[in-house]
Amino acid sequence: MSDFQSKFAVGVNPFARQSKGFGNAAIMFVLIACSCVAILVTVGIVMSLIFETIRFFEQVPILDFLFGTHWSPQTALTADVVGSSGAFGAVPLITGTLLISFIAMCIATPLGLASAVYLAEFAGPKVRSFAKPLLEMLAGIPSVVYGFFAALTIAPFIRNSGSAAGFDISSESALAAGIAMGIMVVPLVSSLSDDVINSVPQSLRDASLGLGATHAETVRKVVLPAAVPGIAGSLLLATSSAIGETMIVVMAAGLAANLTLNPFEAVTTVTVQIVTLLTGDQEFDSAKTLSAFALGLFLFVITLALNVIALKIVNHFKEQYD
Amino acid sequence: MLNNSVESEKKMAEVETALNSDGPIIQAKDVSVFYGEKQALFDVNLDFEKNQVTSLIGPSGCGKSTFLRCINRMNDLVDIARVKGEIIIANQDIYAKDVDVVALRAHVGMVFQKPNPFPKSIYDNVAYGPRIHKTVSTKDEMDYVVERSLKRAGLWDEVSDRLDQPGNGLSGGQQQRLCIARAIAIEPQVVLMDEPCSALDPIATAVVEELIDELRERFTIIIVTHSMQQAARVSQKTAFFHLGNLVEHGDTDQIFTNPQDDRTENYITGRIG
Ligand SMILES: Nc1ncnc2c1ncn2[C@@H]1O[C@H](COP(=O)(O)OP(=O)(O)O)[C@@H](O)[C@H]1O
Ligand SMILES: [Mg+2]
Repeated sequence: MSDFQSKFAVGVNPFARQSKGFGNAAIMFVLIACSCVAILVTVGIVMSLIFETIRFFEQVPILDFLFGTHWSPQTALTADVVGSSGAFGAVPLITGTLLISFIAMCIATPLGLASAVYLAEFAGPKVRSFAKPLLEMLAGIPSVVYGFFAALTIAPFIRNSGSAAGFDISSESALAAGIAMGIMVVPLVSSLSDDVINSVPQSLRDASLGLGATHAETVRKVVLPAAVPGIAGSLLLATSSAIGETMIVVMAAGLAANLTLNPFEAVTTVTVQIVTLLTGDQEFDSAKTLSAFALGLFLFVITLALNVIALKIVNHFKEQYD
Repeated sequence: MLNNSVESEKKMAEVETALNSDGPIIQAKDVSVFYGEKQALFDVNLDFEKNQVTSLIGPSGCGKSTFLRCINRMNDLVDIARVKGEIIIANQDIYAKDVDVVALRAHVGMVFQKPNPFPKSIYDNVAYGPRIHKTVSTKDEMDYVVERSLKRAGLWDEVSDRLDQPGNGLSGGQQQRLCIARAIAIEPQVVLMDEPCSALDPIATAVVEELIDELRERFTIIIVTHSMQQAARVSQKTAFFHLGNLVEHGDTDQIFTNPQDDRTENYITGRIG
């Protein structure tokens, strides 16, 4: 009797469950335990952010925090004036963050998109094979390096060219930090957009070329319009990483909480303030310290929302062409 | 490549007159195609008559698509592909040095296996070719061209009230007819179709087949198909390919009722392929 027949011998359930042995269960357990650790840590961090933020809002009204235009936690720390209104107004930090991120995206969008279009559509395999890793090396540079690049190279350059033109520009400016940050996110924009452009199906290019369009026309009129949603998603992701970036702004943007949209002035950002609030010895129940948690939660919500929206857009885009 | 636009217009006019004269509209002479080292097509000689539908049939991998793509030089897009021999369209070897593929493809349109409308509105899909080639100058004229093309593709009645809706929203059969409308909007002389019905259900297939028969009045059509019934239904001429060779060609009736070569007979009776 062959092996096949014996399995289906009368009276034996051919579909009987077989023992998979101890190995499988053990591996499953380890995998589940590891994912649980990751999930629990995340939940824990979010919870502590939320609880400390609630404690902060017991001392400082939430509306003062969200809409106050004056930020000076140092004065608030001195006796008697704890939580005095106006000292914890986050608006200057938020505008500072947005101003710098905006400058960064103004730099990163054209540079990143242009290099993505070039790499994806026009570069030959040779150029591509060394240009792409080179570009991705930019992403591997630690942000502290961009920070001192901004503080020691870009900022003095801006100040010197400013004074040559008769302007007085402070050595710490939103512009310097924004430029460095923009260069930092170029690889992110270009590699995400490159993926998006590559996932525009070849059949659309064939259709356009088959109608007698040139390669350039095809890129301009078919490939890029088809890739717009995905590119928008990748720009959002880059924005979110710019908003959360810390090191560059700590080193180049300054600490002064100016409420301004002037890129030549020093501004400060949410991340910078969190760093300065929490470095050194701190009491953990003063409004000053707790305000860092409120800022942290705020940042978390913003970047999470941006990431979720961006990933939704990008995934929707990819599905459309599967 | 022609850089001078005046010269290119003159060339287009020349081509136009030659295309309107009698005789075979396309002559393939000793066409061989190589993909890298591998030869996919061996010395194919084949003429195509004006206003006729010619089917290219044969087992898959025999080089039907490869041959079809030679006729509008889509093989240029495959890096490793190399074409030898001549393809004469309107007394002009399309593989000659001074041929502009843009102008060539304006005269030889193509419909692909899988419907591939652009992610644009129905209107913009059809208007794409005329805009690229600037064959139309005013909005009214464009409206007219779009309507005429959609009518010829038998799609007008179904979409006339939603021209601004995306082309990808249509059913598969409608999408393929949209692609046909897009291809004929620039009034090519020749339309190449590579298994245009293989992604369609039988009802949509029947509609497209009927359409192909109507289009014959204005266009010369070369269609690759893996369905012999389809070849018999839509074409006047049939060419049978096998392992990269053109085995036999002639009137469709004759190929199907009285094939000269054993390989053809084996294929159409279902013994190979
Ligand atoms: N882009 C390509 N690169 C390499 N080989 C190819 C390519 N396209 C087709 N071929 C080869 O050429 C031969 C003919 O292919 P094709 O013309 O697509 O056949 P058909 O359309 O008749 O099924 C096949 O052996 C195929 O593997
Ligand atoms: Mg094929």
